[in-house]
Amino acid sequence: MFKRFLTSLALGLTLASPCFAGTAADDIQIIDPWAREVPPGLTTSAGFLGMKNTGDKEHKLVAAESANTGMVELHTHINDNGVMRMRPVENIAVAPGGTTTLQPGGLHLMLMMLKKPLKSGDKMAITLEFEDGSKKEIQAEVRHFGMEKMNRMKMGH
Amino acid sequence: MKIFYWLFLAFLMTASTSHAWSLFSADEEERYPGMGGDFTLRSAAGEVSLKDFRGKVVLIYFGYTSCPDVCPTSLGALSAALKKLSSSEMDQIQPLFISIDPVRDDLEKLREYAHYFHPKMIGMTGDLAYLQTLAKRYGAYFRKAEVENSSLGYAVDHSSTIYVVGKDGKLVDMIQHSGSPKRILEHIRGVLAY
Repeated sequence: MFKRFLTSLALGLTLASPCFAGTAADDIQIIDPWAREVPPGLTTSAGFLGMKNTGDKEHKLVAAESANTGMVELHTHINDNGVMRMRPVENIAVAPGGTTTLQPGGLHLMLMMLKKPLKSGDKMAITLEFEDGSKKEIQAEVRHFGMEKMNRMKMGH
Repeated sequence: MKIFYWLFLAFLMTASTSHAWSLFSADEEERYPGMGGDFTLRSAAGEVSLKDFRGKVVLIYFGYTSCPDVCPTSLGALSAALKKLSSSEMDQIQPLFISIDPVRDDLEKLREYAHYFHPKMIGMTGDLAYLQTLAKRYGAYFRKAEVENSSLGYAVDHSSTIYVVGKDGKLVDMIQHSGSPKRILEHIRGVLAY
């Protein structure tokens, strides 16, 4: 009887443990999220950020959405001998303890069908979704291209 | 003894000058043989030809306004580099943005787009067949690529190079895709000093 109690206790703890371990959204720290201001009349832009994984297992960003866009896709650029090829990616992985940076010319959130123009200084709410279904809302600061360099210095590039 | 030293020095100087001269003229003649050349395109302010800018250094970027990241990155860096130039340097420069997407980019949109990056930048386009030949002559590459799992439908694979045309209308430099205003500035100043 006592043994059975122990077993169920152990089982109970095992089942309960994911609640203590935290979700991907808990483990991922967002660094300096921003989106590029778009020239007048355009409806496509790109969003950038750093993701630091404070947990002990790999996490993956699998989707993103925003009320201000018709669609957000995860994209990357491949520089193939000077030819830039933009392609969607299924997910963006962040190694445990590591940081993955989305930045101009590489990985980015492609913000499509913008419902209103992005003006520098505005904040744009974007919801990130991770592999375990957990979500995190970020406030991306809209920046004019002249402000991008500041960002890169901050990011240590 | 001293006279030999001076003679030797004089010889060295002549040799090095003539050597530099031959390098210089070779550069001027054959830097990019068969590439570049004149063109005439449409802008919101009317027809514009490369010939209109003889005596200026012309910076040409091929792209399209719905290009979400590569074009704004390059044009933003170009713009930041141009802002570092003095007004007398800027007087010798003409930046051009050539859209290879005439179906979606009308002239007014191009004017606004180019102006957004630099007040002096002229946005222009032309007929697709003409643009394709022109891009090829400069070595720019564009190709529609079908993309699965994206609402884009297709993406445009393209090169991202700033072509630098000298004051005589000849292609003299190419600045490969760069988000670095510093590197672009070095190239522009190099051509201005040329």
